[in-house]
Amino acid sequence: MLRFLLLFIGVLITLFSVEMLNPVQHAVIQPFTGLLASLSTALILPFDQDVIAQGRVLRDGTSGFAVSIESGCNGVEAAIVLVAGIAAFPAALIQKCVAIVAGFLFVQALNIVRIISLFYLGQWNYTVFEWFHLYLWPVLIMLDVLVVFAIYLNWLGKNAPAAETI
Amino acid sequence: MLMRRQIVLTLALMPITFGLWYAAGPLFAGPAVWLCDIALGHLYPTVVDSAGLRGAELQLTTQFGELAGQILPAKEAGNQFALEINTRLVSYSIAFYGALLLASNVQDSLYKFCAGLFWLWLIMAIGLASIAGKDLLMLIGEPFLNTELVPPADVIALTYQFNVLLMPTLAPVFVWFWQLQGSPLWEQLAADITRASGRA
Repeated sequence: MLRFLLLFIGVLITLFSVEMLNPVQHAVIQPFTGLLASLSTALILPFDQDVIAQGRVLRDGTSGFAVSIESGCNGVEAAIVLVAGIAAFPAALIQKCVAIVAGFLFVQALNIVRIISLFYLGQWNYTVFEWFHLYLWPVLIMLDVLVVFAIYLNWLGKNAPAAETI
Repeated sequence: MLMRRQIVLTLALMPITFGLWYAAGPLFAGPAVWLCDIALGHLYPTVVDSAGLRGAELQLTTQFGELAGQILPAKEAGNQFALEINTRLVSYSIAFYGALLLASNVQDSLYKFCAGLFWLWLIMAIGLASIAGKDLLMLIGEPFLNTELVPPADVIALTYQFNVLLMPTLAPVFVWFWQLQGSPLWEQLAADITRASGRA
């Protein structure tokens, strides 16, 4: 358990520091955040024609209300926690890779739900928007990470074939 | 099965714990603000004058002021910059932790909650100090960075991101997981971990 904790914290701090580097922000994080905004718009457009994506900003053409997806809102931090947990736990490399890809998609799927919900909550009531944005959604995203990690542990225990430890 | 029960119960309890946390206002933030005041006094003795609670806000008075658009020491400027920091940005970790712990079938839950609160207050104090560091950097800028003991801007940004965006949700999970030991859910997770480790 101690080994897991130390590895987890080590990977977490390393990935977090790498994510903060300017070249990584420009080459990976900001384009990814823009992609999230475009994806959210693509999902909303069939139901709401007034939505426009401008870079990392999601805007309602009629009301003018906009949300900007910033660091901490793109689900990358939550994904880093998940990756650190998966990387720190003893398993075969292929199992870790599958779990990281699936887990990342799972976290991002909920994050898109979060972005879309915040976009509409903000147009409806700003106090409710702030509550969900600052307090409730971060908790729900972390619970999502916890669920994915628990599923991973269960999957490893039940189905994973014997393989070399990484 | 136990994990599913844990998650569902946590979600069901969250409206209650978050309601209590919000209704309690500054109560849950008080000890963290007190610790933060001590920490800031040691970290930035020539920058921070005092820090205290005002409602649910941490009010921080600096030793800098402004005169004719220039940032100067407060004595020269004749006024002091003050910052207001929303303590709820970090204290919601208590509501999350409360929901996690209440949803678990642990013994001595009240004792464990008090012990958990102690750790969370420590982490909250670090979070508040990180927000203060970021806000001081934005407000005062160069004179703040040139002060003795103040870390580089990148370190301030990193600690802010880590302690404010990540720790309020990660720390409760850590504390709760640690306190799970001996509970049925812990036994099940331990069995999963043993099986997984054995196969790997």
